[in-house]
Parts: sequence; C-alpha cells; structure tokens
Amino acid sequence: MPWPSARSSKRSPDRGRTENLVAETRSSGYIGRAVPRLEDSRLLRGLGRYVDDLAAPPGTLHLAFLRSPHAHARIGSIRTAAAAAIPGVHVIATAADLAGLFTALRADYERPGFNRSEWYSIAVDRARYAGEIVAVAVADSPYVAEDVLELIEVEYAPLPAVVTVADAVKPGVASLHPNIGNVFFQGSFKSPGFDAAFAAAPVIVRETFTGSRIASAPMEPRGGLAVYDPGRDDLTYHATTQMPHIMRTAIAESFGWSESQIRIIAPDIGGGFGPKAYIYPEDILSIALARKLERPVKWFCDRMEDLQTTLQARDHRFDGELALDRQGIIQALRVRIEVNAGAYAGYPFGSSIEAAGGAVMMPGPYRLKYYAYEARSIATNVCPAGAYRGVSQPTAFFVMEGLLDRAAAKLGLDPAEIRLRNILHADEFPYTNAIGIRYDIGSYEECLKRALALGDYAGYRSRQTPTRFVEGKYRGVGIACFTEHTGQGASRYRDRGIRRMPGYDSAVVKVLPGGKAAAYVSQTEIGQGSITTCAQIVADRLGLDINDVTIVEGDTSLTPHGSGTGASRGAVAAGGAVLRAADKVREKMLRIAGDFLEASPKDIELNDGYAHVAGAPQLRVAIAEIAAVAHAAHDRPPPKGHGFGLEATDHYDPPHVYITNATHLAWVAVDPATGLVSVERYLVVHDCGRVINPLVVEGQIHGAVAQGLGQALMERIVHGADGQQQTVHFLDYLLPTALDLPPIEIAHLETPSPETAGGFKGVGEGGVIGALPALANAVADALKSFNANINRLPLAPDHVLDLIDQHRDRRVTAA
Amino acid sequence: MNGSKRTVSLPLCPTSTKRATTDGASRAAIEQGAHHDRSRREPVKPAKFTYYAPETVAEIIALLGRYGDDARPLAGGQSLVPLMNMRVARPAVLVDLNRCKALDAVSDDDGTLVLGPMVRQSGGERSELVRRLCPLLAQTLRFTGPRAVRNRATIGGSLAHADPVAELPGAALALDATFVIEGANGRRTLKPDAFFVGQLTTAIEPGEFLREIRIPKAAANTVSAFIESGARQEGVAIGGVAAQITLAGEVCQDIRLAAIGVGSGPVRLTATERTLLGRKLSEALITEAAKAAEDDVDPTTDLHATAHYRKRLTVALAERAIKQALAGPRTN
Repeated sequence: MPWPSARSSKRSPDRGRTENLVAETRSSGYIGRAVPRLEDSRLLRGLGRYVDDLAAPPGTLHLAFLRSPHAHARIGSIRTAAAAAIPGVHVIATAADLAGLFTALRADYERPGFNRSEWYSIAVDRARYAGEIVAVAVADSPYVAEDVLELIEVEYAPLPAVVTVADAVKPGVASLHPNIGNVFFQGSFKSPGFDAAFAAAPVIVRETFTGSRIASAPMEPRGGLAVYDPGRDDLTYHATTQMPHIMRTAIAESFGWSESQIRIIAPDIGGGFGPKAYIYPEDILSIALARKLERPVKWFCDRMEDLQTTLQARDHRFDGELALDRQGIIQALRVRIEVNAGAYAGYPFGSSIEAAGGAVMMPGPYRLKYYAYEARSIATNVCPAGAYRGVSQPTAFFVMEGLLDRAAAKLGLDPAEIRLRNILHADEFPYTNAIGIRYDIGSYEECLKRALALGDYAGYRSRQTPTRFVEGKYRGVGIACFTEHTGQGASRYRDRGIRRMPGYDSAVVKVLPGGKAAAYVSQTEIGQGSITTCAQIVADRLGLDINDVTIVEGDTSLTPHGSGTGASRGAVAAGGAVLRAADKVREKMLRIAGDFLEASPKDIELNDGYAHVAGAPQLRVAIAEIAAVAHAAHDRPPPKGHGFGLEATDHYDPPHVYITNATHLAWVAVDPATGLVSVERYLVVHDCGRVINPLVVEGQIHGAVAQGLGQALMERIVHGADGQQQTVHFLDYLLPTALDLPPIEIAHLETPSPETAGGFKGVGEGGVIGALPALANAVADALKSFNANINRLPLAPDHVLDLIDQHRDRRVTAA
Repeated sequence: MNGSKRTVSLPLCPTSTKRATTDGASRAAIEQGAHHDRSRREPVKPAKFTYYAPETVAEIIALLGRYGDDARPLAGGQSLVPLMNMRVARPAVLVDLNRCKALDAVSDDDGTLVLGPMVRQSGGERSELVRRLCPLLAQTLRFTGPRAVRNRATIGGSLAHADPVAELPGAALALDATFVIEGANGRRTLKPDAFFVGQLTTAIEPGEFLREIRIPKAAANTVSAFIESGARQEGVAIGGVAAQITLAGEVCQDIRLAAIGVGSGPVRLTATERTLLGRKLSEALITEAAKAAEDDVDPTTDLHATAHYRKRLTVALAERAIKQALAGPRTN
C-alpha cells in the first residue's frame, strides 16, 4: 500500500499518543491511517464540478438582484418598464409580482427568551439592510440581467439606520421587526450560590472584549440553479449548500410543497464555514421564479455581493469578570454578551446562535463551579450574522484566556502556572460543568503540559527579558487552552433552542453485486475531507480496498435525511451513521462467509477483499463471492433466515455534545516602528478522540488556524454611520495569505470517546478557537513592558502602534 | 455594481477627474474593433463598452482622438478590468494597447533608460538594462504584485493608473522620471510633479496616452532601495518609501526620497532630503532626518490605517529605506 505509515506530518514534532493506536488498529485497516484525500486528485486537476460549472439546461434564465443601497428605507413605487423593455429581459420581478408564491422563513422557536421575527426573501415596503433584495431582473444572460438593474427606478425614503447594538437599544428607537424592541433573543443563567462565591473572592479581573464583524469569504461565492419540471411539478435545485436536507425542508415549508417533489443537489462546494448552511433569499426567489416562469433559473453572487450579503459573524461585545482566590484558583465567572445579529434571524440556526452559543461554550477546560451569564442578540440595520467556524467560541476564549492572563499578572503567576492550577485533571472525568454540560473524557492537563514541553516554554521564559525586546522587535508567547463543542446531537439543539437542525445524521451502505461498496451519507463534502474519512470507515469495516468504496454526499434524492455539514459534527454524527450501517452489512457478510467457510461468523475477519477464518488466512472467500450470493448471482442461496440484498441504513444521533480539548502556543514578534505583528512559531497540541485520518485532521487545523489568524490580525468589516458596508472587495477586506502563516506544528493526543460511535470526536473549528486567544495573549506578552491592553481585534498595525504609543510613557523599563 | 445598485464608497475611483464617464445606459451589443473578429460577441461582466485592438501607434492616437473622453486605453488590465467588472469604471470605449508591438521596448538612449508603456512589470524586473541603468526600478518591481500579476501588469499601466499606494509612481518620483505623452497634437513631456495630478488622476488629457517613460541613468556611486509595509506580507501596502542616494565617499551628494500611501500621489520627502544633503550619513543623522519626514506628508485616515499611523510609518520606512540603500552595492 502506498500510504505513509507515520501518523503525523513531518511538521509534527511529536506523534504523541497516536503511535500506540496505530499498532492497535493496523490489523483492522483504514481507521486511523494517514490516507491521502480521495478528493484531491480530482479537485487539484481542475476536475471539480461546482454549481457554476454545471451546464445550464437550454432555456435557462439568469437572475440579477437589485439590492437596497440604503441600510434602512421605506420603499415607494418601483418602476420597471424601462428595464423590462430591453431585448433579452424576460421579466423584472418585485415583491408585488411574487406575492403568495412563498412564505417568510421563521427560524426561531416560540419559547421564552425569543422574540420571533420573519425573513421574507424580498423587501416589501421596507429594506432593513444595504444589500436586501428589492427587485429581480430575469434575462436570457446574466450580463443583460445585470445591465438592466440600473434602469429599475425605486423610490426610497431613507429611515434612520441603527448600526451598532448601542444604537439599536436606545430608548425611542423604532423596532426593526414588529414587537421585538430590537431584541431577537435574550437568555441568562446563574449558578446557585454564585453571588456569595463572587462576593467572597479576593481577586477580581474585569475587561470588555470586542471583536470586529468578519466575513467567512469562501473561495466560491453563493449560487444556485433551479430546474423545475412543470409536468411533474418537481424541482431539482443545485445549490452551494452545506445542508441540503435542511434546505429541502425549508423550501417545502416556504412553498407549501412536498419534500418528495424537491431534490437538492450540492455538487462540489468551494468552502462553507457555516454561512452556507443557511437558506438565502436568492434560493427562495430563484425557485419561485423557476416555478412561476416554468423555466430553469440560475443565479450566482459575485464577490461584492458575497461580502455584503453572505451571513457575517463575530460582531461581539463580551464583558467578562473572573473571580479568583489568592492562589489563582478560579472561584466564579460572570459574562455579559451582546451580539449584533444584523437585520434578520437566519434559517436554520436562528437568532440565538452566537449569543447563546458563546454563553454556553464559555466555561471551557477549567474547574468552574459558579458561572453567570446574560446574553442577547440585537437587531440592527446591517447584514444578518450567524454561524461561522467556531461560532462564538473564538471570542469566548479570547475573553476567558485574556482574563486568566490578567489574573496571572495581578497575582504574579506565570500564565502557564495559573492554567495548570485550574485545568481539569484526567481523573475528574466524566465532568459536568457549571451549566450542566458533561465532558466525557479528555486530556486537558496532559495537552497543556505536552504543549509546554514541546514548545520549551520554560526555556523560552527563562531567556525572556522584562522588556521582551530582542533584535529590534518585541517578542512574546501566548497560551490558549480551550474546549470545542463537537458532535452535537438532537438533544443539544433542542436545549439550545435551535429548532431547525435535526441533530442526527444517516447513512446507507451497500455492497453491490460486483463486491464493491457505496455509501450514501446525509452530510455534504465542502472541503473537509469527509469523502475520504467515510470511505476509510467503510473500507475498514467491510475489509475492502479504499478504492473500491464510493461515497455519495450532497444529494437529497440519493442520501438519507439528516443534518448536513457543520458544527464539527461530521466525524461523530455522519461518521457514526456510516460505521453503524457498515457494521450491519458486515454482520450479514460474516454470516454468508460463515456458510462458505463452515465457521462461526464470530471467527471470521474481513481484510483485503477477503473473508477468512481468524488465524487461518488460507481459509478464505472473496468478498466479491459473498456479494454474488447476496445478490442472487451465485449457486449458493443466502444463509438461512436471510433474504437477498446486502445493504443497510442507519441513523446516528450523538446522545450529547462531545467536548474536545486543545492547547495552542503562539510566538509573535511586534515591530515597534510599524506595529506589524508577525507570527514566528505556532504549536497545536489537541485531542479529538479517535482520529480517523491524521492528514485530514491536520488540514482542518491548518485552515482553521489561518482563519483565526486573519480574524486576530487583519479581518474586519467596516460600516459607515449610515450603515453602508465599506469593505466590499478583497482590496479592503484583508484575508491572510500563505505568506502570513508560520509553519503550524501539530501533535495529536488521542483519547477515544467512550460514548460516541467509533470513539470519534470533532475537530473542524478548534483551530480558529485557539488562534484568537493564543495570538492575542502572545501580542500582550510581547508588549508586556507597555502594559498594552489587548481587548479589541483585529490587531491591525495602526491599532498595535497606538497600543505601544499610549503606554510608552508608562513603560516598565527595568532591564 | 453601479450607483443605483449600491452606493458603496470605494477608495478606487474609476477614472481620472478629466474623464468621468457615467454613460452607462445599455448600449446595443458590443461593437468589435476594426481589427477584431466580428463574429465573437460574447457578453462580459462589465457594463457595455466598445472594444478596439489597434496595432499601430497611429491607430491608437486616431481612436483616442475620435472617442476623447469616452475612451480608456487598456494595458495589462490588472487594475482597470477588476474596476470594470465591479462597474466602478465604465469606459464607453476600450482601446487595447496589447497588440501594438512598438510599445513594449526597453532601450538605452545615450544614458537614459527608455521604457515603452507596455513593458510588463516582470519583464522590467528581469531586464539587464533596467538593472544596470536604474537599479531602483528593478528593486521596486519586486513589490508591485504577486508574480502572476506582474507577468501581465505593465509599467505604464500602473503609472497611468496613479493609485496612491502603487509602488511605481513612488519610484518614478525618486528616479526623476520623464513622462512622454502623445496625442494627435504630438508629444509633450512632463516631470512627476506635473504628471501625477491627484488620486487616480494624471495629466494625460483625453485623446492622449502615455507613450514612453524616460529615466536618467543612475550616477556612479549611487545606492537605492524600495521598501513597503502593509497588514499582510503580500498585497496592497499601507505605505512605502523609495530612496536613491548618490554618494561622494560617505557624504550624501544627491538624494531623492519618495513616499507612497500618504497623499493623493507620491510625495517627496524634502525635509528629510535637506537634512541629509551634503552631510556624512551616520546612523544617528539618518534617524534624525527620517523624523523630519513627518513634516513632509499630510495623509488621511482610511479603512487601512489612521493618518497618524501613516505619518509614523513613513518615518520608520524612510529610515529603513535609507539604511537598506546604504547597505547595498554602489553603481559603477
């Protein structure tokens, strides 16, 4: 086999606990091996097929969207005659033309804390953010459609725009939606005994932390191709979605249609990161027009539209207060969270995703008994915000880890020491945290210790001078310990008040007559490598070569219903479903093999395309022959009590949420003349349970650390006071490039979950979550002699230089 | 992306003030140029325009003369085409210079480096002649974009686009380049002060185009450097400084410093130059002189940095550019 035998990449300084597991799992095959991604050969050779690559059927009409230039405006008359008269234009559609074809999407529950609102896909009388669709041009070509937008005359009466949370909740400010008072959601929690514990603590550190609103900026913007069959009244919609099954349900609901008449296909997806889990107005409008006009309809956002209208994130303000005793032991934590949620609550995750998510995910890897939070999501006249890789966890740990460093400084402790005093030990699991979330198992303390050892943290500290000034730059190290919520099942989503996310996933595994296998999985490959990891599970359980396994995802007519891709759930929920379905098929294969080999199924192993008696590899039968029996292509009948067929469906609902742990260490240098932060070294030690494929895990970490670095150092969406977004292209919205990234060293620790199918946990978001606090704390450490207060992101050069300048006079100059 | 669709404020305004074209209403199908295959009428992302692909300078001048204010020359397209795709730039007529072979020559005219406007940035960077006569230009061309962009982008295109954070206008000012502009009435020449009129605006009049860039050969014992700084290692800079210094022993005999990203066009750092001219260049003096650069520039705050930061950055980069230049080889 060509696969490399090492479990870790060359960059990994230490293979950690993974080597032992390799030995354990080698006999069973693929799970745990660094199999190169099956997706890569196709994608790297340009043979990927994204929505925009699909051949549009003859007669396809193209859409362009006229968007409100005002953040908040009443809409008067809309004159479309001049545009409609241009050759090639089919129709110009306004809200009035589409009335009655679909209903508004309602993401939120009716339950305490939520003020329900609706998101209708085209502005009726009023536009609530700059970018909201006011009219749609339908033409023979996308170019004609775009050309005629400027001929549509819209009467706008601008209204005062609320851009910030503070503006939105001022007394007397008009509510953006009926009866919500600009509060979409509010929730709170307080541990019994919190007040007494907080009051008794001798040491309190407080800080207000803010992030900048950011964009996920996937390489592929959003788009769709709606093909309607008027004879059958059915729809095939090719979409850039992470969650085709949820999209199907939303469309069925919105149009009063049967889900059985709707097929959603997500072909190759050029990055999702959360925002592509949502149903967008363009989806609904294109489907409405395809059905109304009985023609195929296609649309695709350009980069400016994507940056202005794809759901944004991290517009957060967290006021954190950490109470400790004099030894630095955490006594209590209180946080107030305000999220600028933008103009609408997105479907499926609703308005609480960031505010409640941040509150619930905040307690982290430390012993914390008393916790209190207040969280709310506020409606404003900017683009809606929602789930983006990590959701609120990056901000939550920016806060938690920032407070811990401040506490350490106050108490004269090293940042590593204060963490070692508070972090959960191996013998404390299962551990139920202050808000009732159970941590099944983990390597929290070991991860931190391993990171400190691999990073030679003690040596680095011993060489550091009080000024941190080395060769023209201020240099420092930052630590971040954190937890990541992964593999959430149905119960967690119901607890969180997220109604539209099923929480379970599903798979159908088939061994076909020729002896090769296929699995149909409810999640969607969006770049994470799930085709490879699912194929590994199937090949492993069925004893097949991985190249004899085909994985199909992203098609609601081929795959069973489930949740889709997001929230670091793939390996746990979809992987678990694949594992369970494959094991059902395996059971039948063993029965058939037992008949052949006159042995008990218990004594049979499946390997390398054969079933053989354990310990007697010469006693074997080819899996192809087993498949022939199962599919009536053999003289031998199926075993007694079994019919024909060799396939199984299973569903997996992870019973809880599975908490993973990691420690990141970042070493940075700050140029005091330019304020530029460069990351000189980056180390990740993490534990995501049983690893299916270390290459895929490392890819997830690399990409996520890059996105976290972007948020920490450069990314920000800027609005004018009028609510206009000023950062609308990549000249102004800065994303990091490969040149900004240090080599990322990764060490895997592997503590399989005793509860999930396969022992798998998730890893999709941790890189972002750790990068924010690690980088922020590293910059704070580098600028320690200036007492620079790092409480706002991004750490752009002008911001950093200001931090240095503000504190230059107060500098600690002791050498 | 037009006014009625979005009223976003873009830092890159589309055309020179002398050529504001807003005639965006749908024209008929794209007319193809006289020398172009008329059968190809594929639609494009920008607003409608008429496209010409002349092969001679005479044809270029005739077309630019005919369409005047409505026409825009197309060089490497690395700035203009994205702006057209965003419909921020909406020229009615595009005169593509890429088929005119006469415009991409590099030559030595008796000690003056002569560059055709269509010399690709990567070509200039690799040119032995450029490196020998004008090391600062070759040094600057390493920063003008990623390699794929530099392979397509032209020296003349960047100069005529006059982006305030573009590197080449800064180098041209430090190099005391001469801009040769040609139109129906013949040629005229301008120095950088007169050529760069404002943000994205040059002195090129409707009917004219940038025909040639002439740069005096660096004197003997000259050192030079270009450095810039931005939020990213690669990408558009916040600011930068080009430095060219001629030495007599350790004494500064001639010095030209130009900063980018601190005004509507490249800015000479005359206060710093004055402090150094005629003096022996010690480290302390350079640091002192660089501080004077604060008085030379009057930047504004934008999305990428505050005005205050841009001043501070200019001081830092001026000091570093001078020191880096002095650490490099001297011309013969």
